[in-house]
Amino acid sequence: MLLSQYVLSGVVIGVIYSLMALGITFIYSIMKMINWGMGEFYMIGSYVQYALIVSLFGPRQWYLALPVAMAAVFLLGLVVQRLLLRPMFVGGIERRDEYATVITIALMVLFRNLAIVLGGPNQYAPPDYARPVTLGTLPISGNRFVALISTLVLLGLFYLVIKRTWVGRALRGAAQNRVGIQTAGIDVLRLDMLAFGVGVALAAAAGALLAPDFLVYPENGAISTFKGFEIIVIGGLGSILGSIVGGVLLGVIEALGSVFVSSAYKDLYGFLLLIALLVFRPTGLFGERERSV
Amino acid sequence: MTGRVRFALLAPLLVIGLTSPALAQKPVKIGVLTPLSPPGDAAAGQFIARGAKMGADDVNARGGVLGGRKIELVVEDDSGTPEKGAAGFRKLATQDQAVAVVGQFHSSVMTAVQALAEQFKVPVFSTQASARQITEQHLTYTFRTHVIDPDRCQMWTRWVKERGFKRAALITENTDYGVGLVEETKKAFASMYPGGELKTIIFDRAVVDLTPQLLEIKNWKPDVLLNGGIGTPMYLITKQAYDIGLHPAVPMLISYDAPSRPEYWKTLGEKGTWASFIVYYHPTMKLTARGEAFRKKYMAEFKEDPIYGALNGYAQVQLLADALNAAKSDKSDDLVKALLAGKFEGWNGTISFTRGEGPYWQQWTPPMLVTQYTRTEMPFTEVKIVYPSELKTGDWMPAPKR
Repeated sequence: MLLSQYVLSGVVIGVIYSLMALGITFIYSIMKMINWGMGEFYMIGSYVQYALIVSLFGPRQWYLALPVAMAAVFLLGLVVQRLLLRPMFVGGIERRDEYATVITIALMVLFRNLAIVLGGPNQYAPPDYARPVTLGTLPISGNRFVALISTLVLLGLFYLVIKRTWVGRALRGAAQNRVGIQTAGIDVLRLDMLAFGVGVALAAAAGALLAPDFLVYPENGAISTFKGFEIIVIGGLGSILGSIVGGVLLGVIEALGSVFVSSAYKDLYGFLLLIALLVFRPTGLFGERERSV
Repeated sequence: MTGRVRFALLAPLLVIGLTSPALAQKPVKIGVLTPLSPPGDAAAGQFIARGAKMGADDVNARGGVLGGRKIELVVEDDSGTPEKGAAGFRKLATQDQAVAVVGQFHSSVMTAVQALAEQFKVPVFSTQASARQITEQHLTYTFRTHVIDPDRCQMWTRWVKERGFKRAALITENTDYGVGLVEETKKAFASMYPGGELKTIIFDRAVVDLTPQLLEIKNWKPDVLLNGGIGTPMYLITKQAYDIGLHPAVPMLISYDAPSRPEYWKTLGEKGTWASFIVYYHPTMKLTARGEAFRKKYMAEFKEDPIYGALNGYAQVQLLADALNAAKSDKSDDLVKALLAGKFEGWNGTISFTRGEGPYWQQWTPPMLVTQYTRTEMPFTEVKIVYPSELKTGDWMPAPKR
């Protein structure tokens, strides 16, 4: 009973966290940079969702607030990419990785402090999206169930767009070879903007979906970023499938550790898996060694 | 106008300026080092700072201290983290030349700044930090006007025993406060309630998903849940315990007075109903003249009953003003002597600091009461005191089945 509850709980939270990991890995695939400020886009998503529900849509129409929150963060992502990150691709900057690291960490600090200034230091909670339910043997918050279903829908949509549309093909091409895709007449800088916007919108979706359960406050993105990075190392940096499988695996490993050892060390088990993978399969489960020509 | 004539006109003004006490006297600075941003319990810090400011205003309205010097508060945010607390204290002691620092809320931060208080010889006051070791170290410049955790844990163990709960689960965070709660509760159960069973879980304070820990507790089938979270973790425990069906089916006791704040219902809604919680102030309490005056002024200004943190912040600034006047000096050693020798009017009684055994060193303890919310959105002014029995104003009630 306890085992099944823990595994289910791990799978649920793993799937939701994979949304965050997908955002990180998607941006990395296209732009070859790590966005260290991902948690702050998660945080902004949760604030926008809260503001929309409280002031505009009401608690019953959280599903209308969700796409608006994602769109708002998508637009913010476009602006950030255009003004702060694009120069590293057009200016001939030598230390591109360092530039991206400095910029995204600075953004992290800026957004976190802006949240304190604008929203105050206290936590907020949007009203519940749904009543608590029982999933198999697991009593679960209705919010988390809604988040699970919404995440699966978003992952499905993302898959369809990437696999079945022209834009998706262009993005996959850019992920494989940024120079090569330009020979086909595709504006790779525009694709960068799109990828960054979509990546941060996915983080915002996670923040908006988890807001009633994990609350809305300036530092709420920290742990999901942490989990997101853990997942992409487990699944393989740059692998979309890896981010989903890695999320579920992380959730299950944490659950099993909680049952057989102690739930007090829940976050340690994921790290042990991560260290084991770095030793035996440094590219992660679905990652590939980088090839350079 | 020649330079000589100009000097002749300005010289008297200069002499008056230098000799007038009103103009020459520097203000006496008191530091308020408290959490005003996450991950600290920022709401608590805001109330403490609010009370301290009202305390300084009152002192200044009475003519200040040391023959007319004004109190000037310097507020610093420690964010509930030891490193920011240490930086803030250093600034208050060196750059601002504060004569004392009040406002400490998180035990981990208080523990970090105590060493600096000794180094800079600046008295530091715990306003709501309750870890045992704070006063147990017997430091010269550390004072506390708040409860200590051994007393808190003994009280909740008595409450658990008297309610007839056999199995108690304590979930708390990996801070000095949380670890202290676990140690003290284990000791209290061993000495006061050997027949009772205790399960303890400590989680990382940054964790937001507490479902596995709460599921483990639920499957252990406790009779009562002791919620040892501070700030956001307290809310996360309450919310998630409700979602998995643990609370209110299993009664929950929150370890401190956060539910008395207005934000409680905004954050938890119906999930906060039936929670029991420890408070140090209740609106039905008889206060001192100073406490009553503060309460009236606070209610007039903020249209709500004061919160304990505000009362304690206010009282600490007032007692510092009294001690400065008694010492007739703003030198730290004179101030410490005056604090130890004097009796000061607090918000609900006379505060004095003695150098007792163990943690009862330069320590003054307010009362501790258990209260309970029995309906959603219940105003704090309407909650009943359910424990201890000699002070109770109502009976503790189990939640009806969901």
